[in-house]
Amino acid sequence: MDITTELRKIVGGRLSVSPSELYCYSSDASQVKGMPDYVVRPKSTEEVSRIVRLAYENEISVTARGAGTGLAGGAVPVKGGIVLDMSGMNRILEIDIDNIQVLVEPGIIQDALNEALKSYGFFFPPNPGSSAMCTIGGMIAYNASGMRCVKYGTTRNYVRDLEVVLADGTVIHTGSKMLKSAAGYDLTQLIVGSEGTLGIVTKASLKIVPLPKTRKLVIASFENAEIAGQAVVKTFSNGVIPSACEILDRVSLQVLKRYDPHLVLPSEGDVILFEVDGTESSAREAAEQIMKVCAPLTLSIRLAESEKEMADIWAARKLVGAAVSRLDPTKSRIYVGEDVGVPIKQIPKLLKRAQEIAEKFNLPAMKYGHIGDGNLHLAFFIDVLNKDEWDRLNKAADLVHKTAIELGGTVSSEHGVGAARAEYMKAQWGPALEVMRAIKKVLDPKGILNPGKLGL
Amino acid sequence: MKNEGKKETEQAKRLDEIGISQEKGEKQPFEVDRRSVYRCVQCGTCRSVCPVFDVVGWESANTRGRMLIIKSLLEGMPPSKDVLPSLASCTTCGICASRCPAGANPPEVVEAARTQLVKCGITTDAQENLKSSIMTYGNSFGETTDRKQWLSETERSKLPEKSDYVYFVGCLDSYRYPESAKKAFGILRRFGVTLLPDEQCCASPLLRTGFKEEAEKVMKRNLEQIRKVEAHTIITSCAGCYTTLKSNYPEEIRVVSLPEFLAEHLEELSLKKLDLTVTYHDPCHLGRHNKIYDAPRRVIQAICTLKEMKNIKENARCCGGGGGVRRGYPDISLELARNRLKDVPEGVDYIVTSCPLCVRNLRDAGGDIEAIDIVELVAMAME
Repeated sequence: MDITTELRKIVGGRLSVSPSELYCYSSDASQVKGMPDYVVRPKSTEEVSRIVRLAYENEISVTARGAGTGLAGGAVPVKGGIVLDMSGMNRILEIDIDNIQVLVEPGIIQDALNEALKSYGFFFPPNPGSSAMCTIGGMIAYNASGMRCVKYGTTRNYVRDLEVVLADGTVIHTGSKMLKSAAGYDLTQLIVGSEGTLGIVTKASLKIVPLPKTRKLVIASFENAEIAGQAVVKTFSNGVIPSACEILDRVSLQVLKRYDPHLVLPSEGDVILFEVDGTESSAREAAEQIMKVCAPLTLSIRLAESEKEMADIWAARKLVGAAVSRLDPTKSRIYVGEDVGVPIKQIPKLLKRAQEIAEKFNLPAMKYGHIGDGNLHLAFFIDVLNKDEWDRLNKAADLVHKTAIELGGTVSSEHGVGAARAEYMKAQWGPALEVMRAIKKVLDPKGILNPGKLGL
Repeated sequence: MKNEGKKETEQAKRLDEIGISQEKGEKQPFEVDRRSVYRCVQCGTCRSVCPVFDVVGWESANTRGRMLIIKSLLEGMPPSKDVLPSLASCTTCGICASRCPAGANPPEVVEAARTQLVKCGITTDAQENLKSSIMTYGNSFGETTDRKQWLSETERSKLPEKSDYVYFVGCLDSYRYPESAKKAFGILRRFGVTLLPDEQCCASPLLRTGFKEEAEKVMKRNLEQIRKVEAHTIITSCAGCYTTLKSNYPEEIRVVSLPEFLAEHLEELSLKKLDLTVTYHDPCHLGRHNKIYDAPRRVIQAICTLKEMKNIKENARCCGGGGGVRRGYPDISLELARNRLKDVPEGVDYIVTSCPLCVRNLRDAGGDIEAIDIVELVAMAME
């Protein structure tokens, strides 16, 4: 059977086998690479189902892809086969304010969804740094979150129902519009975070929440990252739950200032951005409490002066990861070991160990991340044309992952495992990985769905 | 599994190995500054703003895809026509560069890659036609008529042979919008501005599409004339000509865009107030590339009410006309223009812009509101 002909019957011109096109789908934002044999851009559940059935019958790998902004190689077809570019299925099918939820196709961009919800006074809270370009489908597949996870949780907390195409092309629904259900296994939660290894999401019902009336931002600087970590622990133990709690070490601050020279950020120390939201009075009270609790530990602490200042700081923060070349044009940020997480109490220890690792391998690094939920984005940067730096980088990343596991944490807090972190699954999960493998075997007996991922 | 794994290891390894083995500056047949290419960390920020991708939908049609393809060529993939739909469809609008967190400059990289492809003999028919028109006839349309046909014999004979100021008309105004050229020169001649005796295409289309050597020849012909006229300043009403004259001609020449010139001389122009509301489309090569945002707005506001488009200045969406895309991919080009028209606010009488290429694309895209050059608005206010 000629697969190209068969695929063309399903999607017409939305199929490519051009070497240049295939190359563009051979990577995401990670270092993982793998060439597909075919790329298709389906437009409907029916097309996805037919493509997957064809792949099932012919034992061809199928890898779903959103915007390709992932940092674990999740969307990279490491075993070749078909890449399903889902970004064209990007409609908002229903905004159901009465049931406080939306029904979307997986290709919708996170920011576009929130733009559409704004006029209703609602939003979909998980907000990765890539919210301007990442798709909801990708967020579901990797249980993405972002800066406001500390208060609002991860994508997982917002998925009510999924339409999923299974490995043999069967289409199922995993939930309903109900707020709760006590009937059977929770397949919705099984699919969220499964990285396209159990099925292809073609529609999603998502819970939405009212936009807060106001947000306030406290900018505090500390002598070092460890003390900053202590301030976070102290804030939480005093009963304040910020809507975001971000750390930016001094290197990250330099990068931010290069990216947007107008930003007014502390000139010394490591910085924590505490955001609180709610009504005017509740947000003010929370901000004041943070300032009071943290003051004894800080070098400086202040409240952002305007909505614009807050927006500018967040906009720059979102892109800090990729902006390191602004500091040194010969260096690029390489996303490895970039997403570890530990229990909040272990944060100061993780920060210290991360610094030691960077020093041990003589690698410049910036440390930033969602310190409020224990998630550290450690960003090593290297000269990509220098092989020795690559070697040191990979050794450092390995140690970072092992350190996170040792501290009772995870190798990935929100970017996913993909192929980049697959080797650590055994160490992190022990015998539980066998349970995952058993589930995979039942739902995808031929192993066609995103093979080579999750350590399965 | 029938096809799994067969490419995985070899491809991934090959890509990795090539990337590193070529680190020491070995001479490659395809030469583009590696640092500029490797600045891209593939984050995909550009994917959310690339206007061509918006229309086409394939990864190869966005900036990250183009950077990846260029990377693959650097790493040893043999150049072929297969890369053209990607690399020849960039309008070089630069919105990706303005958003790139890593500070990459993709339009520059794309132009450098096009130059390399031309050297390898890999071009589209549209590119070749464009080159041939310019090299044979001195204009991008292959027109054989006199470039100054919009001037009467008498007017032509009275042109000063020497002047500090030259009005560089450009191919589009010379041949497609002679009325605009007439109006612009009508204003400029009051200030002693002259024309080049035998103006040639500025070479922008050649440079944008990779014909660097040919561009040098054309630029030389213009440059000789500029020196002969002894002009120190060139005024142009075309954004494409502006960016080329400014960035690719010797620095000795001062280049001023027509909106800047008009804004500097507002008082001398004695403009009437008009009961009009207009919007302004920032041409990419005047705006994002050269940061000329305020001058055209000052001119408009001296005449009538300005109501801004949805995306302006740094964020203005491309009309689709640049980078050789109008010539090579007219359908995509006009789709971009239609998308840009969606940014036009309600209740405006005209879309004003400062580039004949934008005027043409926005007009050809249809829509209810007429697109006009800023000089036409100024002329109305001088009637």
